[in-house]
Amino acid sequence: MASDSDVTVKLTGVAKRYADVVAVDYVDLDVKKGEIFGLLGPNGSGKSTLLKMILGLVKPDSGSLNVLGIKAEENPVAIKAQTGYVPEVPRLYEFLTGMEYLDFTADLYNVSPAEKRKRINEYLEALELQGREGDMISAYSLGMKQKTALISAFVHRPKLLLLDEPLSGLDPRSARIIKDLLRELASKGVTTIMSTHILEIAQAMCDRIAIMYEGRLLATGNMEELREMARLPGSNLEEIFLALTGTSDVRDVVEALMK
Amino acid sequence: MKWRNVLRLISVDIKSGRLIRGQRLRRYRERRVLQYVMYGGSCLLGIAVGLLVGTVYSGVPDPEMKTGLLLNIKILFIAAPTLVLTYSLIFTMMRQIQRAGIKASIQPPYWLPITWGEHTLAAILANLIGVQLAALLSMVSAISVVSIFLGEIPLATLTIFALLAIAFLASATTEIFRILQVRLTGAVYKTSGKAAIWVRFFGSILIFIAFYVVYFFFTSGANFPAIIEALASGQKTVWFIPYLWLGMTLFSFVNGHIVETIAFSLGSVTFLSALFAVAAKLNSRFGLYEPPAISISIGAYTPRPSIWGRLGFSSSEAAIMRKDFKAFTRRRELMYFFVLPIVITIMYTSLMRVPYFQGSSGFSALILLIPGALMATSMGSMIIGQEGAPVWHLYSSPITAESLVKCKYRFVAIFSCAVTLACSAVGILIIRPSLRIIFAALIESIFLIVTLSAVSLRAGVKGASFVEIPRPRMIRPVDGIINFIVCIMLSCVILAPLIPYAGTMIGLLAPLPHFYLYIALAISGTTAAIATYGFYRIAVKNAKHFLAEAET
Repeated sequence: MASDSDVTVKLTGVAKRYADVVAVDYVDLDVKKGEIFGLLGPNGSGKSTLLKMILGLVKPDSGSLNVLGIKAEENPVAIKAQTGYVPEVPRLYEFLTGMEYLDFTADLYNVSPAEKRKRINEYLEALELQGREGDMISAYSLGMKQKTALISAFVHRPKLLLLDEPLSGLDPRSARIIKDLLRELASKGVTTIMSTHILEIAQAMCDRIAIMYEGRLLATGNMEELREMARLPGSNLEEIFLALTGTSDVRDVVEALMK
Repeated sequence: MKWRNVLRLISVDIKSGRLIRGQRLRRYRERRVLQYVMYGGSCLLGIAVGLLVGTVYSGVPDPEMKTGLLLNIKILFIAAPTLVLTYSLIFTMMRQIQRAGIKASIQPPYWLPITWGEHTLAAILANLIGVQLAALLSMVSAISVVSIFLGEIPLATLTIFALLAIAFLASATTEIFRILQVRLTGAVYKTSGKAAIWVRFFGSILIFIAFYVVYFFFTSGANFPAIIEALASGQKTVWFIPYLWLGMTLFSFVNGHIVETIAFSLGSVTFLSALFAVAAKLNSRFGLYEPPAISISIGAYTPRPSIWGRLGFSSSEAAIMRKDFKAFTRRRELMYFFVLPIVITIMYTSLMRVPYFQGSSGFSALILLIPGALMATSMGSMIIGQEGAPVWHLYSSPITAESLVKCKYRFVAIFSCAVTLACSAVGILIIRPSLRIIFAALIESIFLIVTLSAVSLRAGVKGASFVEIPRPRMIRPVDGIINFIVCIMLSCVILAPLIPYAGTMIGLLAPLPHFYLYIALAISGTTAAIATYGFYRIAVKNAKHFLAEAET
């Protein structure tokens, strides 16, 4: 059992509805410091809403959120200052160049000029954006925009990373760099909560995984614990996911479509 | 051509125009009734005008007078196509200007089984929906009703067809211009290298200025009957211009020249088809053309000290102000903010050369007052909504409501002051008002800017709309209209203490003692300060709600 000081994110009875749609249904969740935590679930299961609630972008209808030791409703600005966020579809300021954009986000988080210069140049080089940083973002490919959004989330050295589909659109090398970087950051105590649809990535990267379905947390744990919950010893995450979400009738669906 | 595809594409355009941001950013709703109220109202207005004109015509007892009236109405019918051509060109081009920054709205869904002809036809027709269609419906209704009273149903029918055709002609021309402009500007940016951003800025501003000067010339309503007369008679001498052939058809019909009527109407149909074919051909060639990337700087990143930072703004406030400055100089749909004050100065200084206004020093003070106040009103109300979809940066960053309002407010106020100074410099050089007027008008201008920036920013925070398709809306229409009315009313209140002083200048009141001006300025300043404080506090309160409720 983790002590309270080890817990970076603590959600208690958090719920959110949009009219008749239940987005998040009384979720209780603890995410430990230095953990890479994966949120899995079908489309519309509430993953993105949960991430947004942790950051304070969406106000819960009920329940309490404690993030980095701060009550979310009391001081959301303090939480945001220590958090890096990449939304599912990062819409960037397309009239800025990549470099200007990163300069802008670093300034939002009050990074000193010397640090800003060092970090931005390092990330640009690592993610192979050097040479294109002077181009306007409107000319960037989807992958380049994703890399730029990721750099902007890392540049202020946050304690918590909230990443919604972080590897979408990335080339294999950049995806590998981001995966290794998240591991390195985790070893230094940075907590990452990421949502993904790519189960192989979740299985390979995450210390613990939560499976969401219709706003509820169906299961939370490491791979071994999930196998036990699904009663599927030796199975991979895909099999566990399909079994737990009750969507394992894939073959029937394909057959029906082929008729 | 599949007409159903064309209708579907038009309906997509109509629906995208109806997207309204409600309380929740992610939820949209349609206001179908409101969408059609405008068209219904236009028809009713047209019918009312038609009934009025028809009743007046029927009630004229003198046959000579009746003939004169009929002749004038026929002149109006003949001039109507050219008039509609001008208005449709202006409005369709305005619509394209508003959409200029949004790639998604003009990118055809090329992966769907839609031909370029269908796409082009839908784009041309969709461009007419809105104010143009409403105006057209109004005219068609009026002409239909009037024709019954006049007994001129064949002429009215021909006029209605001519009006519909000319509106299509105007929209097709705009479509051709749009495609060529994208292709041409792309080529210019490519050759201008790093200077592309400035080429784009000054190029766009020059085009907008030319466009708006023409627009204000036609919409200022100056000597409207003379314009109609000139259009009706003038088109005879330049009959070879295909755009006037529809007007010539009506002219020939009224004069009983059947052969010419047929020739001009056939010519019009041919010209219309040719224009459509050119638009479709250009779309198929350049419709998917991507303008080249603009590269602004190359080399290792070096942060530069910010001027805003030196002026006492925090790092995040300065970052937002720098970003906003770039937005207003790089986003084409925001560049037109620069244009209105310039156009007002041009129109105003031209007007001041008219003998009637010369020497009217009270009138000349307005050149120092209007541009900055107008800028503060329009920019303040849109400064939050112009963030568009990337507004999540503000939501997710550690910026407080106080900081957000502070940097946005000061950006608007500083920008508006700069505009006032620039326009005033030109105005002073050309109109040469007295020192006293310059002094009073500049101070009042500052009062107006300071107050209207706060008022409009409050409206901008409260009514921010981040809808970007089919065009960036930036503020909900209702909030925009209310804000405009509040700004006008508040401006009147702030300027009210100077009314007696203005009265003495135009000779309506007896001369006032010298110190009255200073008392009036002090009262005006106090009013402005109180209003600014109040609206600024409300803006901060609204901004707290805006940031806390982000996507809820």
